[in-house]
Amino acid sequence: MKKSLLVTASGLLLMQPLAHANVDISGYASVIGGRVLSGSGVEAFDLPPTFLANYPLVGVYEKEWTFKPDTRFGLQFRANLMDGLSATAQVVARGADDFDARFEWAYLSYDLNDHWTLQAGKKRLPLYYYSDFFDVGYAYLWIRPPADNYTWQIFNYTGVNAMFNYFVGDWDISGNIYTGREDDKENKLLSQFFGSVPVREIWKDIVGGVVNLNRDWLDIRLTYMTYINERYRTIDGIEERVTWGDSLTRRGKFAGISVNMDFGDWLLLSELNRLDLDGSKFDTYMVSAGYRINQFTPYISFADFDSENEKHNTTSLGLRWDFHSNAAFKFQYDDVNDKGVPGWEVAGDSKSVSFGIDLVF
Amino acid sequence: MNYLKAMLGALLLLSGAALAEISVIVHPSNTVSVDQSDLNRLFLGRGSNFSDGNRATPLNLAEGQAAREHFDTQVLNRSSAQLKAYWSRLVFTGKGTPPAEHPNAAAMKAAVAADPTAIGYIASSDVDDTVRVVATF
Repeated sequence: MKKSLLVTASGLLLMQPLAHANVDISGYASVIGGRVLSGSGVEAFDLPPTFLANYPLVGVYEKEWTFKPDTRFGLQFRANLMDGLSATAQVVARGADDFDARFEWAYLSYDLNDHWTLQAGKKRLPLYYYSDFFDVGYAYLWIRPPADNYTWQIFNYTGVNAMFNYFVGDWDISGNIYTGREDDKENKLLSQFFGSVPVREIWKDIVGGVVNLNRDWLDIRLTYMTYINERYRTIDGIEERVTWGDSLTRRGKFAGISVNMDFGDWLLLSELNRLDLDGSKFDTYMVSAGYRINQFTPYISFADFDSENEKHNTTSLGLRWDFHSNAAFKFQYDDVNDKGVPGWEVAGDSKSVSFGIDLVF
Repeated sequence: MNYLKAMLGALLLLSGAALAEISVIVHPSNTVSVDQSDLNRLFLGRGSNFSDGNRATPLNLAEGQAAREHFDTQVLNRSSAQLKAYWSRLVFTGKGTPPAEHPNAAAMKAAVAADPTAIGYIASSDVDDTVRVVATF
């Protein structure tokens, strides 16, 4: 008797959620394969011919075919709690991480009024134009945003974000301001590609803002962010602090502008960014053009990274084919030119092909 | 000869379906006027109010409906693939959700007739007095 009561009680609990929320599930996937056709590698680092297609996640192509570097699956759960409140989580599994699924986004969102929305939690750091939808291949033209530009080591942050949206004349003006920090216990790019010991990378006191100006076929985006960088290296099990000259931290200031035009069948994309790290300048830019012919969009792209020591660029040619209402097939050829001063090369010169499918559901 | 006639007929039917005029509809009590730039703003998630300041709830027909295709290409000036790419960017960055979809004209009319904030569209041949037409394309 008691047992069946208990069963009934727990059954009721299961059947009555705490709040009536509509949970939307959506997702995206990219399955991409590729290989290096030819490349110099970097002899000094014993590096074979290599194409570093994705810096933050260390997506690396070599001379054997692989589907791991760019392949990923994302699932988003959004609970709409009504009256402007929602909770969103995104789980991403990446080939570059052996499909080890992780929560990369987890945040609450509250609409203060028609113009302002407040968000808190873990989100993508919206530095570059494509940062916050970097994983959603279906939403952009190429196989991946140009690697030479997207060389950040910190990808996400935890903090608060205020978004706004106003309509002034014929201009849609939107953007956000955010603050937070990220403590990456073992940073993949610094620990595995640029180094061989575990590196803990901290970006703290992050404060940034983005303004988007939109009008018909014209889209302009301005971005600024500043942060304090702290770094630790673990050697033989002992964590030691990395210093830069006499200082224990560095201040980074990042600024960028992006101008995009979607005019008739033409698509022109551009991005120009500068990171100033305690006076050292790291400049990146990218220009791309695409031309739509029904479901086909052939494109070309050039991306460049320039600093005192590290210098490289990539010329890309590709084709996007929207063969299905939820999916696109892409093919891309990348020619990387690594002009880094000796000891500062990234992965040497390389010529590579990659192809695959992006989809959303 | 008959074969040719049938082909021609089919072609006419097809082009007729693609070119049939659509009507943008609101609740009969809503007296607002709406132009193409308002529709772009509302259906691309760049604003949530009518030009008179009242809240607007845009509603789409399901993909594959002829009037949806007509609305996407003639009013929003974008292909379905471009719109899907546009929305997938907003959805996965927490910046917006696309308009709710209704499977057919009957469902769209019922939804608009029941909600004073609603704005949708149907083939003009499906319009009746349960809704008010604010624009045709």
